[in-house]
Amino acid sequence: MAIFDDGQPIFQQIAHMIEDDILNGTYREDDQIISMAQFASTFQINPATVVKGIALLVNEGILYKKRGLGMYVAADARKIILSKRRDRFYNELVSKLLDEAEKLDMTYEDVIDMIKQKKGS
Amino acid sequence: MNVMMECTNLNKSYGRTDAVRQLDLRLEENTVYGLLGRNGAGKTTLLNMMTGGIFPDSGTIKVGGAPLGPGETPKDTCYIREKNFHFGGAKVIEILQIASAFHPNWDWDFANELVRTFKLNPNKKMRQLSRGMESLVGNIVGLASRAPLTIYDEPVLGLDVLMREKFYSVLMEDYALNPRTILLSTHLIDEISKVVERVYILEAGNILLHDDVDNIRTQSFMLTGSNEALDQFTRGKRVIYKESYGKGSLAAVYDRIGEDERLQASKMGISVDGLPLQKFFAYFIEGSGHVE
Repeated sequence: MAIFDDGQPIFQQIAHMIEDDILNGTYREDDQIISMAQFASTFQINPATVVKGIALLVNEGILYKKRGLGMYVAADARKIILSKRRDRFYNELVSKLLDEAEKLDMTYEDVIDMIKQKKGS
Repeated sequence: MNVMMECTNLNKSYGRTDAVRQLDLRLEENTVYGLLGRNGAGKTTLLNMMTGGIFPDSGTIKVGGAPLGPGETPKDTCYIREKNFHFGGAKVIEILQIASAFHPNWDWDFANELVRTFKLNPNKKMRQLSRGMESLVGNIVGLASRAPLTIYDEPVLGLDVLMREKFYSVLMEDYALNPRTILLSTHLIDEISKVVERVYILEAGNILLHDDVDNIRTQSFMLTGSNEALDQFTRGKRVIYKESYGKGSLAAVYDRIGEDERLQASKMGISVDGLPLQKFFAYFIEGSGHVE
């Protein structure tokens, strides 16, 4: 059972989960994703929340709807997700990393060294 | 959206005790509501009034626009009581047969499937069932009735964690396929935070708050930091609870905190965390006594 974080809307977390599944290859281009009812049942979550999460991805061109059939992964889904997530990686994670480094009196070089060390280990 | 049921200025007292006072509540079509309150907050009294079991001292209850008179029960409503069954001698299957006669949308295939899912023996007598199994029989009635308005009073009482999760799964799946209005009255709050869309918080017979769960989720925070920094940061914000320990304090805030404000908080040495619904509820009720 997936655990949802507090402080972030669940529909965003649902959207994130679907994005992860597209990134890791669980869903490929033109694959159908699980239905709203299956989602609601699996995660014991209100279907309105699922609909909101899916709508988010439809608006971004990551999913598309086949009338009467369900939701499918768009052709460019992976590309869109990658570019969006990379932006967020830069804006959020990198900023946080540098803020924390500053608090700890670490220089830019210290941080780079640490990254290299981690990568090599 | 259409209003299924509307309670306006309800009052009910027993002797000198006001069980429910000046209570307003509104249930719209195809929505799942949570009625949250501690034991003794007045939840069951309210539900009994909404379903015609007792009549309010004053105030009105409208069902589909028409007022509910004394002795009347609301149409198209299925009420699953916490203590459900007066027929201890009846078998599970007989309880389902009685319920099926009352509810025009009753689905026998679904009911039988649920009996299997929850591993109930249909030939057992009600009085032989454990507390948990008794809850399950009630929940099966609530699900299979497919009533436009279904009200559950403490539906997971006595159920182990596996059965609770199974119940929420089935409830959400069936609601997705057959939308209707559902009211879950419970003191087990974290469990239903993903299931309900809107909550009413009841305390001492009065509605303290009603809001969308998403709003509460995105606008309730726990802040910790130095007294001074917290005072400065929370100025003008809605603080629902505050507690000091030495030079530090924690504050529960029910307000928007934007990205730039988070940054500012971080610079002031304040940590900002999301608040689980259960915590929000506890702080809100505790704080409602002394903090503005």
